[in-house]
Parts: sequence; C-alpha cells; structure tokens
Amino acid sequence: MTTEAIAAPEVAAPPAPGEAAVKKTLGLAFWICIGWLVLMVLVAVLAPHLPIPDPKANFTKPGQAGPSHAPSAAHWFGTDKDARDVFSRTVYGARVSLTVGFIAIAFGMLVGGTLGILAGFFRGWCDRIFSFMFLVLLSFPSLVLAIMLTALLDRKLLTISMILGVLAVAPVGRLARATTMQYADREFVMAARSLGAKNTRLIIRELLPNVAIPMSALALLGMAVAIVAEGGLAFLGLSVEHSITWGGMIQLGSDSSRTLQHQPWIAFFPIGVLFLTVFALNFAGDRVRTYFDVKEISL
Amino acid sequence: MAITLLFAVSALTFGAMNVLGDPLFNILGPIARDTSNPKSVKLIEKAKHDYNLDKPLPVRYGLWVTGFVRGDMGVQFSTDGQPPVTELLKERIPRTVTLLLLGQLIAVLVSIPWALISASRADKLVDRISTATTFMLVALPGFALAIILKYLFAIRLGWFPLTYRALDPFKTRLFQMLLPSIVIGLPAAAIYQRLLRTDLITTLQEDFILMARSKGVSKSRILFRHALRSSMFSFITVVGLTTGALIGGSIVVETVFRIPGIGSTLVEAVLRHDFPVVLAIVMIVATTFVLINLLIDVFYSIIDPRVSR
Amino acid sequence: MSELQTELRQAQQPLLEVKDLRTHFRTERGLVRAVDGVSLTLDRGKCLGIVGESGSGKTVLSRSLMGLLPHSNTITSGSVKFEGKEILGLPAKQMRRLWGREMSMVFQNPMTSLNPLMKIGQQIAEPLNLHLDMSHADARATAERLLRDVRIPEASRRLDQYPHELSGGMRQRAMIAIALACGPTLLFADEPTTALDVTVQAQILQLIGEQRRDRNMSVVLVTHDLGVVAGHTDEIAVMYGGKLVEKAPTSVLFAHMKMPYTMSLMRSIPKLEDPSHTRLATIPGRPPDLVHPPKGCRFAPRCAYARDKCLTEEPPLRQAEDPNHSYACWYPVGSPEFNQREAELNNGAVPVTLEAR
Repeated sequence: MTTEAIAAPEVAAPPAPGEAAVKKTLGLAFWICIGWLVLMVLVAVLAPHLPIPDPKANFTKPGQAGPSHAPSAAHWFGTDKDARDVFSRTVYGARVSLTVGFIAIAFGMLVGGTLGILAGFFRGWCDRIFSFMFLVLLSFPSLVLAIMLTALLDRKLLTISMILGVLAVAPVGRLARATTMQYADREFVMAARSLGAKNTRLIIRELLPNVAIPMSALALLGMAVAIVAEGGLAFLGLSVEHSITWGGMIQLGSDSSRTLQHQPWIAFFPIGVLFLTVFALNFAGDRVRTYFDVKEISL
Repeated sequence: MAITLLFAVSALTFGAMNVLGDPLFNILGPIARDTSNPKSVKLIEKAKHDYNLDKPLPVRYGLWVTGFVRGDMGVQFSTDGQPPVTELLKERIPRTVTLLLLGQLIAVLVSIPWALISASRADKLVDRISTATTFMLVALPGFALAIILKYLFAIRLGWFPLTYRALDPFKTRLFQMLLPSIVIGLPAAAIYQRLLRTDLITTLQEDFILMARSKGVSKSRILFRHALRSSMFSFITVVGLTTGALIGGSIVVETVFRIPGIGSTLVEAVLRHDFPVVLAIVMIVATTFVLINLLIDVFYSIIDPRVSR
Repeated sequence: MSELQTELRQAQQPLLEVKDLRTHFRTERGLVRAVDGVSLTLDRGKCLGIVGESGSGKTVLSRSLMGLLPHSNTITSGSVKFEGKEILGLPAKQMRRLWGREMSMVFQNPMTSLNPLMKIGQQIAEPLNLHLDMSHADARATAERLLRDVRIPEASRRLDQYPHELSGGMRQRAMIAIALACGPTLLFADEPTTALDVTVQAQILQLIGEQRRDRNMSVVLVTHDLGVVAGHTDEIAVMYGGKLVEKAPTSVLFAHMKMPYTMSLMRSIPKLEDPSHTRLATIPGRPPDLVHPPKGCRFAPRCAYARDKCLTEEPPLRQAEDPNHSYACWYPVGSPEFNQREAELNNGAVPVTLEAR
C-alpha cells in the first residue's frame, strides 16, 4: 500500500491503531484541570484573606494525648506534630510552590529561548558555544545540579526559582534552537531577507511567533516539572528557608515511620494536593502539546 | 568531545564551589571571619596551608584534577577530615549502584511485557487503563511515591522492612533494598512502557509485519521476533539515558529509606557545606552520565547492522 | 470416495471462487467502499491479472481474498471459497494454517517488506519451521535451494546477509522465495514489479511464470500496468472504483475490449512504434470518492463516451460474444453510440467529460 494513493483522495486502508485519539479539541478534562489550577492560584494569592486558621498557630486540644489530631470539622486536614492546622499550611504552601514554578519556567523560557533562537539563527560559533553550554548543563542529573547550586547560593525565594530556571534553560534552549533552525530555512524567511530585512527584525517578526508556539505549549509541562523539583528540594530541606512548603510538610509528616503510621494525614494531604496540581499541569500541558503537535522535552 | 565536556563540567563545578562559596568559612566556621584574634589568624593560616587555599584558583583546580584522576578526592571539610573523601565514597557508592541496577532491572522487566500487551491491544480498555496509569506514575513526584509505597507496603502491609541497616547480612540488605528499588523502577518503567508501546505500534504498521503475517506467523511471535527487535535500539537508548534521572531519584529514595549511599551523602554534605564531598560526588555523577552516553553511541554503531562502519 | 477421486475432484473444481465480495472500511469520513461487489473464479495453475489505477480497490481486493485485513473497522460480505471451503471472515487462528502454506503473497516494495534486522535465510526458514516443522539444518538447505530456484547467485552466501545488502531485484527474488517456501497452491503478487527497474521487471515476471508452471500454482497478479499482464496472464479482470468493470481471457480482452476505460488504459501505454514526442494519452480527472461513489457508472464522470444514462443507471455485468468475457457498460466499444462519439472526436471535437459539463 506504499505507492498506492498518489492521486486518489482515498487511501483504501483502515485507520491505524493508536491514532484514534488524536482529537483536535482540548476536551472537557482539559478545562477541569485548568479549573483546578485557577482555583489553586486564587487560593494561594488570596490566602491571607481567607477565613482559615493561622498556619503558624498551635491548636492543642485540652485532654488530647498528643498535639496532633486527625481531620475533623474544625481542622479539615487535621493538625501536625506541632498542632498546626494542616489545611491552612497546605494553602500557604501553595504560594511557594506556584510562585517558584512560575518564575522558574518563565526564567528558563526567557533565557533558554533567547539563547536557543540565537544559536539556531546565527549558527557558526554562536551555535557551537551555546550548544556546548546546553550540553554541560545537561551533563548533570537535574536534581543533582539543583542541590549543588543550593549549596552555594542562598535560599531566598527568587534564588531558588532561578536555580530551577537554570535547569529549564538547556531543554528549552535545545527546543528553541531546533525549531528556529527548522523555520529559518523556510522560504518566508528568505523572502523577508531578500526584501532587505535586518537580522533583528527577522528574528522578532518572522521567527519568534513561530518558535513561541511550540515553546508555550510546553510552559505548562515545564511548570509541572519545576514544582516537582521544588518539592523534592523542600523535602530534602534545601528549598526556601523559613517558608511553608509542600515538600517540607511532607518531610515532617514522614521522617519517622511512627508518624507516618499513626498520623498519615500530615504527609498525605500535602501529597494529595501536590499530586493533583502536578497532574493537572501535566494533563493540560499534554493536551496543549497534542493540539499544537509538539515533540517532548524533559528536564 | 566527551573529555572536553568533562573538563568543562569539572572546571565549572570547581570554580563555582570556590568562587560562590567560602571554603575557609566552611572549614573553620566563624573563626574564619575573626581576623582580630591572633589565635584565629594562626588557625586561618594553617587551614589555608592545609587546604591549599593560599594558591591561585587555576593551580588549585589543577591539583584537584590530578588528585581526582588518581583517585584521591581530597579531604572532608568537616569531621576532622576523616575518613578521606575517597574512602567515604568507596564505602557508599556500591549501595547506590545496587539500588540503581535493581531499579533499572525491575523497570525493564516490568515495562517490556507491559508494552507488548498494550501495543497488541492498542486503544482497547487494557491499553487505555495503562496509559492512564503511566501518566499518573510520571506525574507523581518521586518522594511522594516513596512515601506512599513505604506507607502501604512497609507500614500497613508489613511486606517489606522499613529501613536499611548497614550492619545486616548481605541477603537481608538486598531485600531491604527491594522496595526502594521498586520506587525508583516504577516511574522509569512508566517512561519505558510509553516509549516502547509507541515504537511497537509504529513498527507494527510497517510492511514487513504484514509480510510476516502473510507467512502465517502468529501474533505473539510477530511481536517478539519481528516488532520487538526493531524497537530495541531506542529502548536501550532510553534506558541508558534515564540512568541520569534515576540518580536524581535515588537521592530522595535513599533519604526516605535511610540508605547511606552517595545520594544521601550528597544531601548531608550540602547541608554541612562540605565542598570536597559535594564536588567529588557531583563529578562522579557527571562523569558517569557522560560515559553512559558515550557507551550508548558505541553500542549503537556495533549492534545496528544498517549502520555502516 | 477414493483418494484418486478426491484429487480428481479437486483438480476440476476452481481453486478460488469469489461471489459478490464487498469490503468496506469505517473511517472518520464515512464508510469507504473499497471493494463493492466483485465476483470471479480462478482455476488451478492459471494466472489471473487484476488491473486498475491507484484507488481502484485492487490491492484491497487481493488482501481481502487472502484475509489479511485487520478485523477492526473492516466490514466484509459475500463469499470467498478456497478449494471449496469458505474462508471469508474466518478468524486469524484458522487463516494462519493457510497463510504461508496454501496461499502466500509477494509484496510491492521488497525493501520495506523484508525485515531489515533479520537475515535472509532466517526469513525464508521461518515458514518452513512453522508449517513444515523442519529442523534447522533442513530448513537451511531448503532455503538455499529456494534461493537458487529464484536464480539468486551465490545462494549460500546470501542466506546470511541482510536485506540491505541485496539489490532491489534480488530482494524481490528473495521475497518470492519466501512466498514459495512451503509450496503454496495460490500466490498473490501485489504489484511485484512496480518498485523495480524496467529491465528487472521482465525477469521477475518471467520467474513468477516459470514457478507457476513448474509447481502448477495459481497466481493472482495485481498491477496498474496493462503491459505487465499482457504476456503473463490467462485472464484479466479490470477494476475501477471498487467494482469489476471488465473480465476476459487475456487474448480476448486485448482483441475485443468493450469497456472504454479498458481502452483508455490500453491507449495510455506508451508504445515503441509511436513517433517521438507523441503526447502521452492520459485519462483526465481523478478516481472516484469511495465514500460517496457516483450514481450510475463509476467511470462515467471521466469517460469521453458517456451519455446521460451512464450517470444515472449503473450498468450491470453483461456477457459479450465470448462466454468468458463480461463487461459493464451501456455504450461499449463497437456500439453505435460509441462509434458516433469516436467519429466526433476524430474530427477534432474536444472531448468534454461529464465532470466538466
């Protein structure tokens, strides 16, 4: 059936398996995920104004054996070992995770995208140097690189975000470079050039819109990865200091087997929220990716 | 090319450590800042001498590299420098390696049959369920998976021991590593399964598969002897390349299950600002990573009969 | 009945009997009627040529006959009898006993139809192991013999080579060797020469013909090239738009073709005797949409000789002077209406097809 359908509008062959689900719509599930994400953002932003208990306060109940107690009407997610309300801590934890995730991916796209576009457009030395840089960055497993950098720099919110952003630079850069090279060879660029367009103008007006599409399709996925990375760092105790983070909460809830066994809610509620958020980002990002038909990146 | 890369990586790491960080402070603590006290000054001088901090940066780098290549990774900043970094790592690396190998083994053993089943029943219920499962496994952060599995299987069901104890006999230790290896292996299995499934489905569309069918070859035999063979290349490549990501995953797993391998050592060293240790571990990991990529390229050129020598 | 009688009986009944075969595919666009009511018979040892353009349904036909199409989204109806037994719709498990053993197929593109990662010898030995339970040594010896039968030089060396190490012609020969391995009674050759050089084409066709005679094997030769079927077939069936539009013994077809489509196919073959720079005669327009086929004759929109009736009523298959010759056309070659239009065209009238009108 290889050379059959040159002129025929029909290739008389049944549809291949695995292709059934390539729909051109985003779907209901997509919007549900977006809804969840919007909810998370709203809750995180409005946290101080919400009618939830103070995340730092201790809520010991008189007559209770230990400070921590199970979920109840007063404390939806229960309280942790220092009798702090887990629900409101989770809400506040969202602020760090979402902020870090957003800044990280924004930074990564900005820097990585710029370097990648420049490398793909100008080729030659520019390409060699930037590609080498990407390669160096990619020689470290991402968590290892992140850990190393946190060892050297401080632990402020912005720093941590930028560290994770650095992790994103190489994959984003390579994608931007590949896409740029793909488009730079096309006729419309040559046409613009023949009309006398200068390089900068070419890059901004012709290439950028085309490269931006696949890159932005990956923004959601990249953010998911950043949030997971931040969670990992927080779990290890290396994230933003003096802040409530999901990773930190999970660590507190699981560092002793006894805690995990008798007070599972301390760890599992943050895990649940983290998972739902990351899942929503992954799912939505995946739908966008198939919609725009882009190849995968991974950190 | 690989050598250049390694040099660049090590130079960058070394430079970052010594420029961004403050080695003197990490060795001596606040004493390093206390230049008014003559005793402190003496200690500072001694430390500078002992750790070669009085020499210029490139020289220090050169010294370190020559040492590294010979297997001498310097002396720890803390715990009075004992045991030397090399000894410390020698003791701990095997545990991480075991963990990774076991994890990869589990991942490969699980993903291949899983992918075969999914590919042969593409788009049917079984396939849709497994797509959802892989998606969730990939979305779940490693430490979360570790905790969930630890809770379910070690605490609730008691099938596995809770932690690793270095003093237990070898077989017991191996069993203690089983659950951690599963935690590392499952997300990897999900990644492998997805890729292999897609690859298999693509291969199954090829003309030679129809030809094999027309010879009367059964479906399972087609999958194993014809389709799987083509897909093996990219499979092996992915397995090799994912090793790097798994190293990152092992850091978390070692922490949760208290395995003293280089992952947890790295975290401890970072918290202590113990640069030689951090530097050594990062270099080892990066080197391994680059070497694996190199090996895969070589492997490719040997195995594929279509690649001209 | 004695064995001899059974064999005689078998030798007399047609090898392949097809009645009103329809193969439809469910797609996003609708139901594709790739094969829409084809009937034919094939005797033992004979060669049937199936000719048609891309999209005529000829490849789908050959695969439907062999039963190779995937079950999902495919609807087949009608009857296909092989050696008297109904095989249409049989599950793959039962068909596998026939595939490679009683019936096999040679495919169009030998580069992609051979497993690139498997040695030639292994690929030939596979059906031998499977169906004839041959030992490794026997299979290898048989494979070598087969390679020699198909005239591949240095047969023993070739056994251990990979497909990319052979030339295009040799690959096709190897594929024929694979198809012939277990001595099938029916061979489908699906455009076996399309991907090959012209010089090699003749050799391959000759090879197939030889093997057919030596083994008393039936062959179904599917092609778009009338030139290919001219010298190598006993009977020719012409397909268009999923339907059989003309069928006749080869010599009868070339001498007395009835359907204007067949005639156009004939005319579009460039001939050596034509003066240089002769314009290639083509058939204007495109094959019909198989989801919404035209009412009436499917070729009518592109036929220079069509009239109104052709657009509204589908012509049935009719018998011509020769009892083995059937065709489906209201105004066939030689009819008064045809001759009238032919005269108009010869006088310089521009052919206006109904599509354009």
